[in-house]
Amino acid sequence: MNYALVSVALPMITVVLLFLVAAPVYSRLQTLVTGGLVIIITVISLSTSWLALLEAAAQSTTSYLAIGGWEDGLAIRFRLTPVVALMLTFTALIHLLLALYGTFSRHGVPKDYWSLSCFLHGSLAALWLSADLFNLYVTLELLSLSAVALVALAGPGAWKPAADYLLLSLAASLCYLFGVALIYGRYGLLDIAMLTVVVNDDLITRLALLLMTAGLMLKAALWPLHLWLPAAHASAPTAVSALLSALVVKAPLFILWVLWSQVAPPVMAQQIGPVFALIGILALVFGGFSAMRTPYLKVLVAYSTVAQLGYALMALGLLLAWQQPEMNSALWLFVIAHGLAKTSLFLAAGQMQTTLGTKRISGLRGATQTTPIAMFAFAVAGGSLIGLPPSGGFLAKWVLLEPLLSQPQNWPWVLGILLGTLVSAAYIFRLVVMAFDRARINPPDISSDHVGQWLALVPAVLVWGMALAGEQLIQLLGEGI
Amino acid sequence: MNSGAFYLSVGMAVFLIGLHGLLVLQDNLRRVIAVNLMGAGVFLVLVALATRTDPVDPVLQALAVTGLVVAISATAFALRLVSARIRHQQHKTKPDDGRLSSHKDKPR
Repeated sequence: MNYALVSVALPMITVVLLFLVAAPVYSRLQTLVTGGLVIIITVISLSTSWLALLEAAAQSTTSYLAIGGWEDGLAIRFRLTPVVALMLTFTALIHLLLALYGTFSRHGVPKDYWSLSCFLHGSLAALWLSADLFNLYVTLELLSLSAVALVALAGPGAWKPAADYLLLSLAASLCYLFGVALIYGRYGLLDIAMLTVVVNDDLITRLALLLMTAGLMLKAALWPLHLWLPAAHASAPTAVSALLSALVVKAPLFILWVLWSQVAPPVMAQQIGPVFALIGILALVFGGFSAMRTPYLKVLVAYSTVAQLGYALMALGLLLAWQQPEMNSALWLFVIAHGLAKTSLFLAAGQMQTTLGTKRISGLRGATQTTPIAMFAFAVAGGSLIGLPPSGGFLAKWVLLEPLLSQPQNWPWVLGILLGTLVSAAYIFRLVVMAFDRARINPPDISSDHVGQWLALVPAVLVWGMALAGEQLIQLLGEGI
Repeated sequence: MNSGAFYLSVGMAVFLIGLHGLLVLQDNLRRVIAVNLMGAGVFLVLVALATRTDPVDPVLQALAVTGLVVAISATAFALRLVSARIRHQQHKTKPDDGRLSSHKDKPR
């Protein structure tokens, strides 16, 4: 538990440090110093969360920490489970990759990125650890505020999507808070482990859970409440888009999972499960279809987030419908595989956009020749999104498919996954085909940034490497909470 | 109908009015106000729930106060963002005032 606390506290302390040392001028040296500091901090945070993961995997019980030492009921508790520790590690890893990119890539990040990204890391880590409905609200709000501020860094063009994002996200949090108020009014408790015991199936609980679900679905941009996402993610600076797609949308998904698999009574969970799974399939199809049609590169990647979240929602829905703990591993494997792949996609897309001087997909003609490494990263990460073996995406899909294929009455769901795979293949290959069109090449505006391109490739390689750790991951996650 | 139930229903009504405003209105400043109305509704519900017991439930009051802090900072941020955008639009639509395009003013 102590390790986990260090990995939360460090980024938060760094935020304060960075505000104190913030210099008014923007120089290369300053970027190196700030970026170097953030890299060191994230490496420490990553290693402590790794130690926390080992600790959580070795323990058989969930460890709790009551902040401030208050007694149960009044205390705000943190808890450490294998899933939580894994998400802590994952968050630190993604933040580290982006800090490396921001420091060493020539196109880099805006000056104010560093303190905000550390703040985002800290609040996200606190969110994974929270075991209290109200504390989840507070951390979710911190996360959204820093996310919106990061989007707004892109300059005046991003202010409209940022404002829309902020307002919708505030409204969504208030819906969630309304649900929390109803739950507290009904049971007089906020702690998740305590609620699990007392919750029963009645009208107020249903209303509260429905309100919270609506709010969280809006925050996680789950279809059909996803309309704010493509604009916000596509207009943000490159590293921020990656941060948002890989991490921020996963937080409300996590709360949704906690709510329905731990707080809600199993009877209600079984009723909502098929609905979630169906929405997941619709997200896969319609999100993928929009990604196929858009003329803009970053919008394509953003719509693919909407589509890929459909897999996670489907895994959650089937987990709830059948109460099978194996689906837990499918859900979290999807989250991790998608996070790594999306980081790579956004970084590669950013590299190609700046080098080729275009936002359009049609401008990528000949990208295999002009920005070969970025395009390679894009294709490799895209392969994981499609689910080509032995990538992380394949691993997750395989875990999801196994129970589906073993029972003939579940085969209709397989059709949904098949359709989703085809659509993802279509939008990835659409781009790859364009990049191989070397006959009508789009000449680059500036010489390409090799370091940035190689850094974009790193997460893509990691997601393919997930297969090596596949067995351990499935074991770790399969135990449920 | 006792006062607790009355304030509870008023809170819900205010929340719904705010939600309606957010969905229908176009102007960003009005939408900020609509979100604040939603917040006011939720806090009213929290406080109304707190009065059901005697003495009043301190946990719910603490939740309302924390929620207010979050709402105030979020509103301040939203107002800043909206006003920056409005100023930027006015700047852009102004006839040629001898300045270059506005993105030079605010480098990334």
